[in-house]
Amino acid sequence: MSLRFLDLARPSRQHWLGYLLLLPAVALVALIIVYPLFVSLDLSFQKIGMATLSAPRKPFTLENYHKLFASPDFWNSCWVTIKLVVVVSAACFAVGLGTALLVNNRFKGRTLARLFVALPWAVPEVIAVVIFAWIFDSSFGLMNWLFIKLGITSQMINWFSEPTAAFWVVAVTMIWKGYPFVSIMTLAGLQSIPEDFYNAAKVDGANAFQRFWYITIPVLMSVLGVTSVLVVLWVFRDFSIIKVLTDGGPLKATQTLSIMTYDQAFGFFNMGYASAIGIVTLVLCVVASLLMLGRKSQAMY
Amino acid sequence: MQRTTLQTLSLYAGLAVVCGVLLFPIYWLFVTALSTLAEIRQLPPSFWPAEPQWSTFAKVGTERPIFLWLWNSTLAALGSVALSMVVSVFAGYSLSRFSVKGGRSLGLFILTAKMLPATLLVIPLFGIFRSMGLIGSLWSLVLAHATLIIPFTTWMLKGYFDTIPRELEQAAMVDGCSPLGALFRVVLPVATPGLAATALYAFVLSWADYAYARTFLTNAQGSWTANLGITTMKGEYVTDWNEISAAAVFIALPIILIYLFLERYLVGGLTAGAEK
Repeated sequence: MSLRFLDLARPSRQHWLGYLLLLPAVALVALIIVYPLFVSLDLSFQKIGMATLSAPRKPFTLENYHKLFASPDFWNSCWVTIKLVVVVSAACFAVGLGTALLVNNRFKGRTLARLFVALPWAVPEVIAVVIFAWIFDSSFGLMNWLFIKLGITSQMINWFSEPTAAFWVVAVTMIWKGYPFVSIMTLAGLQSIPEDFYNAAKVDGANAFQRFWYITIPVLMSVLGVTSVLVVLWVFRDFSIIKVLTDGGPLKATQTLSIMTYDQAFGFFNMGYASAIGIVTLVLCVVASLLMLGRKSQAMY
Repeated sequence: MQRTTLQTLSLYAGLAVVCGVLLFPIYWLFVTALSTLAEIRQLPPSFWPAEPQWSTFAKVGTERPIFLWLWNSTLAALGSVALSMVVSVFAGYSLSRFSVKGGRSLGLFILTAKMLPATLLVIPLFGIFRSMGLIGSLWSLVLAHATLIIPFTTWMLKGYFDTIPRELEQAAMVDGCSPLGALFRVVLPVATPGLAATALYAFVLSWADYAYARTFLTNAQGSWTANLGITTMKGEYVTDWNEISAAAVFIALPIILIYLFLERYLVGGLTAGAEK
């Protein structure tokens, strides 16, 4: 009976169907993720300008990696990336946690407040860039007017030709785009705490601070662990904000590893070299997230 | 929890200040779009145009192919979401219900796929798509966005399927349903909200892409997506900030509206995709 043939209760058939269902996804992922990944690993060991699949393979060489680790440009990009990751992640967490705790209070209009406090999440990155490029415009931008009005500077700052200023413009844009994710995740975490926990603690005589410290923080920790990995990875790999806002300039002050990879590949057509940078970036991403997730694994509830 | 009036007032005041500062950039985008060029170029700036210039929207909408860009973005998103959802529904169901060998390591692989920098993957994909003749075609985006989407959707759908009791399909199969029939007739209808949330989130992911569109479509103006199109407006000769702001409003509005009205689903997808 054909029905018997597909009977889920029979272990052998069960496996067969399980694999069959996985097959399309595995095939597609192999084709568009795994295979390209091997191609780029392969490219990184060749001195190659333009990647073409039909061209014969160039000889194996470590030259790209030698060149990379000897290049001050690479170390500069590492430094810029680390600075950006630290500044943006820390600020995203500060703003994200603050806003989440604020709208987690009970008040009229809370649903609406929650919606609006995370609204920048819905603004596409490229649009966020348009907004901030205009706010930091050097001739008519709002920020220059504000800075002069507040007496912070006496003359117009040219935000996009001053290395330090440009770094901060990028950082501010990324913080604005990134903090809502932290708020959303924190709110989701806060909502998973049963009210009973707080009531029980109150009965036991815990004050507001103790309730926050012994209940809210530990429960949030596991959510925030995952969130921090995702935020760090996002900053690490971001392309569109920096590319459109500053293009890595001025003087490479905002050139992260992602931007350097892309520019080498599609600006200078050194695809072998670019792949080497990309592979190193990927390794750094994996190592960073393993380190962060390792600590998170002892999540307490 | 009882609060005094003072505490309530300071809560609202704090909220107003925080929202005011954080949402100001969005307000400023709308104000700039509605201002005249003269108003934009005056200091001190005017925080509300004397006469809102709605005509700027009409001007940008007719002079620039914004609706074509939006249409292209939509096509690419629909294509990649459809492709990803079909394979992810099966894969997620399999990972949730069958103890396939290597299922765990596959799950782990999917997680690491989320860490891939797009700037790395775009290099080999460019070579592959070039030999396939896909450069300049929206199909390149359908495939490239699937690399962003599939890791998320598979994991999210597995999570949703995990919440549906197995007894449901077992009952259907006792009644003579095949396992696939049980998936389509019993599990998927129950999982519809989850499917919708997943697809919606995937749609937003695809819509947000700039790196792939820039690499594959720069020389094919007819295929430009919204995000690619608007960046070409920035930095051409003199930037007229009111016009580029109006274009930005057109492009930002669909996702903002999706967020405002379907936030529940989006956030469900966001948090489900991030847990473990």
